[in-house]
Amino acid sequence: MDISFGPELESFRAEVAAFLDCAPTPDIREAGRKTTSVFAPFESVMAWQKILHAKGWVAPGWPAQYGGTGWSVEQRYIFAEEYFKRDLPPLLPNGLQMVGPLLIDLGSEEQKAKYLPGILSGEDYWTQGYSEPNAGSDLAALSCAAVADGDDYIINGQKIWTTLAHKANRMFMLVRTSTEGKKQQGITFLLLDRTDYPGMEIRPIIGLDGIPEQCEVFFDNVRVPQTARVGAENDGWSVAKALLRHERGGSAGSPAMYRKLELIRVTAQGTPSPFGGMVADDPVFQRDIGELEADIASHAAFEKLVISGHPLSHDPAMPSMNKVMSSELAQRVSVLMTRVAGTEALPLQLEALNIGSNVAALGQELELVAMPYYLNSRATTIYAGTNEVQRDLIARTLPAA
Amino acid sequence: MDFSFTPEQDMLRDSLGKLLAQTYSFDQRQALLKSGAARSEPVWQALGEMGLLALPFAESDGGLGGQPSDLVACGLVMGRHLVAEPWLASVLLGGKALALGGARAQPLLADVIAGNAQVALAHEERHGIGPVTAMGTTLTLNGDAVQLDGEKKLVLGGAEANALIVSARAGDKLALVRVDPSAPGVAVTGYSMIDGRRAATVRFEHVIIPAAQVMRDDAEAALDAVIENALLTLSAEAVGAMGALLEMTGSYAATRKQFGVPIGSFQAMAHRLADMKIAWAKAQALLLYTTALIEAGQASPRDVALLKAQMGRLGRAVGESAVQVHGGIGMTDELAVGHYLKRLLAIEAMLGSTDYHLRRVGAR
Repeated sequence: MDISFGPELESFRAEVAAFLDCAPTPDIREAGRKTTSVFAPFESVMAWQKILHAKGWVAPGWPAQYGGTGWSVEQRYIFAEEYFKRDLPPLLPNGLQMVGPLLIDLGSEEQKAKYLPGILSGEDYWTQGYSEPNAGSDLAALSCAAVADGDDYIINGQKIWTTLAHKANRMFMLVRTSTEGKKQQGITFLLLDRTDYPGMEIRPIIGLDGIPEQCEVFFDNVRVPQTARVGAENDGWSVAKALLRHERGGSAGSPAMYRKLELIRVTAQGTPSPFGGMVADDPVFQRDIGELEADIASHAAFEKLVISGHPLSHDPAMPSMNKVMSSELAQRVSVLMTRVAGTEALPLQLEALNIGSNVAALGQELELVAMPYYLNSRATTIYAGTNEVQRDLIARTLPAA
Repeated sequence: MDFSFTPEQDMLRDSLGKLLAQTYSFDQRQALLKSGAARSEPVWQALGEMGLLALPFAESDGGLGGQPSDLVACGLVMGRHLVAEPWLASVLLGGKALALGGARAQPLLADVIAGNAQVALAHEERHGIGPVTAMGTTLTLNGDAVQLDGEKKLVLGGAEANALIVSARAGDKLALVRVDPSAPGVAVTGYSMIDGRRAATVRFEHVIIPAAQVMRDDAEAALDAVIENALLTLSAEAVGAMGALLEMTGSYAATRKQFGVPIGSFQAMAHRLADMKIAWAKAQALLLYTTALIEAGQASPRDVALLKAQMGRLGRAVGESAVQVHGGIGMTDELAVGHYLKRLLAIEAMLGSTDYHLRRVGAR
């Protein structure tokens, strides 16, 4: 067993801190404080990505040869800790954590050369076209069809829950290319160079939080080149499964949760309790926040074991366990935020949440974000495979007699 | 970062596992406990031959200078086999507390390491291990000697101990004093715990002790270190027990049929099993991470409180689910499942309950 706490790590921490103290603009910092979703406010976070890219720190988890940082596991954690201490907006995951790592694993050399630079620099934002109205948890039932025509595919059908599609310039998607055999066998994985192909229509969906984060996308005879394919035709299911491992596992999400816990604590210290004193002194609050911190600490330890390559990282249930843990913790954090905010979470403050709106928030920072974050977080146990589906997958990994 | 065991530790786990598989099967364990014996002499001797009784002591004390991760490696196996031997009681708690006396700990400490004597730590009172100001047991001056009064609960191995190491409030300090259990005014009431271990309630009424037997008059930090090691080992036992329950319960759900199909094929069952696996993974991860922190000298009291709280919560959840999945047979004394639950419940309650440790974390 070994955890390094050497002086070289402390000087690394100082280097990271110095950069993160100066590099973000006020607009980026405001976006970080007003992030109420996995997806930070789009324009600000993409501006921040360009700054981090110029520094070479945009993809700590990538292999160095493809533009990663070459940092140790300890360094990656320190970076995440310093990052979230400053309430900076998390970079959008679709490119850097999903399609980018997928292309590194499974893409052709041409695809890597064509797409990885734009993913790193933030020139491109990729939306994910997976779910359909009749293919959610049962994703393999998808029916949006691509039919070969010369060197092209012609796509017809509909996608939904395509996050930020209205802001995206590219899309990765699953299409049906065959109805023969098992439903998983007729699926193909495509990379779309544009989101404004003729016949493509994107309609934003306003969520519970009042924010248009999700979209639906309609395809009416949309023609795309067959070179857009990753892997073989009808082998898209295995490509998608490889991507899901990146989406569900190998993350460093706990530093952001610790930061929110700290915000809750600080707010509770200044929020009067009806029993006298402050909420922070209330034994029920103390026990509950202690329990939440204990579970966050367990998840943090789990993440560290996974990225250090402990045998637990090879457990076939690891991605699903990680997804269940992190999504349910995010929800519990959001619940405690709304509990501390109380009635102050009830004013609808969409304008104050807008970056650069200069509309002052009513009350404290936590009170502005608590309810939108709570409402948005109801999705964490639904997206990327519902937690019911994840638990099915985990149960299948148990030893049978 | 590396959270894996060394090859030597894997060998230790392997040989301890083999020893216990041969000598400490569930049936052998149950027969031993029913016999009323406080320990199995052959197993105790074999643990001594493997070096486990010497493991946590400094080499200058005649021990092997084992690291926290060595204790965890052993604790995982002990938990898996539901060991009720007084290893925790006499080595990790009593023995380590005795060793705080330095040279005065000998020759008794040598006898403990050789397996010829047992010592017990008398520290807990009613609800856990609060601050010294809340301690009811007192040590006061009485002429040239000192006088001990109070009552200690859950003194592991207390009735079998050749000597008791007792914590007491002396003014606003925590003192440690060595007490002969047969001294006038000492009343030891031994009992078996729900998990098969032996413990005792010990009352001290006007017990007059020579001042030389006061081992330390300001021992709070030193005793915290002893308890930290014991809690870590106890946590390893909990994770070992959870792992065993997960395997047993998964196998049972795959073979037990109702309505013509294995019960594990029902989603309600599958999700319960999935939650058991998540709980075990969380517990294992936190255990190994905290072990590495302690070994690096970087653990705070909050880190240890957090670990203990999680073992209590997660252990109880896994144990209760295991009984539920097993159904009626899980309620019986003849199956190991309920005995694992009782071990996990005992771990949750001792050395500070879940609520106690969670509030410590939350109050900060």
